[in-house]
Amino acid sequence: MNKTININLGGIFFHIDELAYQKLKLYLDAIRRSLSDDSQGRDEILNDIELRIGELLSERITNDRMVINENDIDEITKIMGRPEDYSVDEEIFEDELKYSPKTASKKLFRDSDDKFLGGVCSGLAHYFGMDVIWMRLLWLVLFFFLGTGFLIYILLWILIPQAETTAEKLQMKGEPVTISNIERKIREEFQDVSSRVKSGVNEVSDTVRSSEFKNKTKSGIQEVIDTIGKIILAILKVFGKFIGALIIFIAAITLIALIIAAFSVGSIGILGFHQDFMNPPFFFNSIHPPFFYDSILPSWLLVIFGFLAIAIPFVVLFMLGLKILSSNVKSFSTTTKLSLLGVWIIAILGLSFAGINFATQNAYDGVHNQTKDLPIIALDTLTIKLIGNDNLSNEKELRRRNNYETVFDNNVEKLYTTRVNLDIKSTDKTTAYMKIRKESDGKNRLTANKDAESIEYKFNLTEKNLLLNGYFLSDLKNKFKDQLIDITVYLPVNSVVYLDKSTQTYLNDVDNVQNIYDGDMPKHYFKMTENGLECLDCDSSIFGDSYKNNTENFKLNIDENGVEINVNDGGKDAKVKIDKKGVKIG
Amino acid sequence: MKIENTKAQMRKGVLEYCILSILQHGDAYTSEILLELKDAKLLVVEGTIYPLLTRLKNVGLLSYRWEESTSGPPRKYYALTETGKLFLNELDTTWSELVEAVNLVTKK
Repeated sequence: MNKTININLGGIFFHIDELAYQKLKLYLDAIRRSLSDDSQGRDEILNDIELRIGELLSERITNDRMVINENDIDEITKIMGRPEDYSVDEEIFEDELKYSPKTASKKLFRDSDDKFLGGVCSGLAHYFGMDVIWMRLLWLVLFFFLGTGFLIYILLWILIPQAETTAEKLQMKGEPVTISNIERKIREEFQDVSSRVKSGVNEVSDTVRSSEFKNKTKSGIQEVIDTIGKIILAILKVFGKFIGALIIFIAAITLIALIIAAFSVGSIGILGFHQDFMNPPFFFNSIHPPFFYDSILPSWLLVIFGFLAIAIPFVVLFMLGLKILSSNVKSFSTTTKLSLLGVWIIAILGLSFAGINFATQNAYDGVHNQTKDLPIIALDTLTIKLIGNDNLSNEKELRRRNNYETVFDNNVEKLYTTRVNLDIKSTDKTTAYMKIRKESDGKNRLTANKDAESIEYKFNLTEKNLLLNGYFLSDLKNKFKDQLIDITVYLPVNSVVYLDKSTQTYLNDVDNVQNIYDGDMPKHYFKMTENGLECLDCDSSIFGDSYKNNTENFKLNIDENGVEINVNDGGKDAKVKIDKKGVKIG
Repeated sequence: MKIENTKAQMRKGVLEYCILSILQHGDAYTSEILLELKDAKLLVVEGTIYPLLTRLKNVGLLSYRWEESTSGPPRKYYALTETGKLFLNELDTTWSELVEAVNLVTKK
């Protein structure tokens, strides 16, 4: 004997015995749980199922048998399928329905239906939800203004898969990633939470009544926590996309810059472009690695190593950004990854090798001295003039500079440097002489001395005119060896020197009695005295302050009234006056 | 991996296409659709069809209306929407391509 219960299933009235009722309820609950992913559609689906079960059961009801028993339920379950059958289907469905606005997440594909080259532009346009014409224009700008945009394009062409199936094409065109959509998505998530909370609360109150309290509360709270977790994940995803885009942007810019740098530096080294190609010269110097010309490795190899050492990490970064942005970007294969790593290590090792090698390059200072007698004795006048070389140099004005030019001397590329210092000193000897001191850095003392000696410097002595070159030539590899030339002219006392205008910038702290600045010394005659050079024809306005002070302390005035002498020594005044009245001291 | 699962998966893959095709010839209510699918041995258990129908409706490929029946409660009649027709056309092409492709591979 069994108790029966009256139920309403899909609008049909049934008598069902208690055991059968329990079974049916368990079955429907299990289905509800397996459908729990979509709260909106779940009730509708369950209604349909109840309707169908009611229909099936009503076929079984005969006049002889009015009550539904366990067997009926078992048969129904067999027809309808296990609860898992509902959920498995749902899974398939989820995958199939990626185009539905609610579940769609956009993926990056190349659009083969709307392509100019590889469909990269149209794919990107779909992804960013903009018109493809703007994307194409952007790339056109990149092609022409940066020249290397096409390398990025090719990289994207390789990495982004083409949309082939309908599903992929739909995914490709999914929702545009705009602020309003993000906002909408978050709002949807919140609504979802509130409905979940509501249903959770309902469930709790239901189960409190049916005294299964403990178990169910937990699942209700768990559900809420799960949903909050989902929201956080969604927000993180948005942030992630933003960071991904940023990474791509930075990596791309760096790669473009690198490619440009590699081409410009590389072309100079490899193709032998002249320096003029990159004006102004200081820019050339700043991008040119110092060890370029004096490295044990050829410069083209250094360019390649340098490029690889920096570019490979950024290519990886670029990949990473793309991966964050869209999950279906192809990964590099393990072989590619390993070979990239290998190449990178080789490049780093090569650079370190060259770097260490170069670091020891400037370790020693080398000097080379040369002395030349000048046919100048007391009372002679020597004229010193500096001359440049217009055939070699591009500079209009001859002056001392700290930088250099690369020039062609008889079709050999050389460094043209104007770092020549000129000084004039006195000597005890009766004839004048000149010392030329060449300086250069080097890897060891011996090579440094050799490099110093190899500096090409010329001068010319005709009669009593000394024509000094205002420049020197040196091998290209000596670029960063801090080379310079110090010229010291030693004059006997009572000889005179005339400094030509051209010496102006070359004079380096020349001592003289009147403390005249180097820049004011040219175009004047100087006599070598016991105390040093003394200007013979200078205006007192160019005298140094300390000299002027010395002379102002002592005033001598001679006129028709007599002689007046004023001495001022640190605040103490002394006055001597000689006139008709006699000598007066006060 | 159970052979039953694979079989079920294969069947389920085309289920969506078949439902749309059945509705192409005229509106039908759930039990009619079920009957046709079961006759064709495409469906083993009925449960699978309900989530599918609801989702197809939610996506806008199907629409439904309630109709009174002479025997029992009102019935839910499904009909193909315009989007559903376009979708079906595309699936037709995909299906014939798929059949060709599978034939090509299996008949070798």
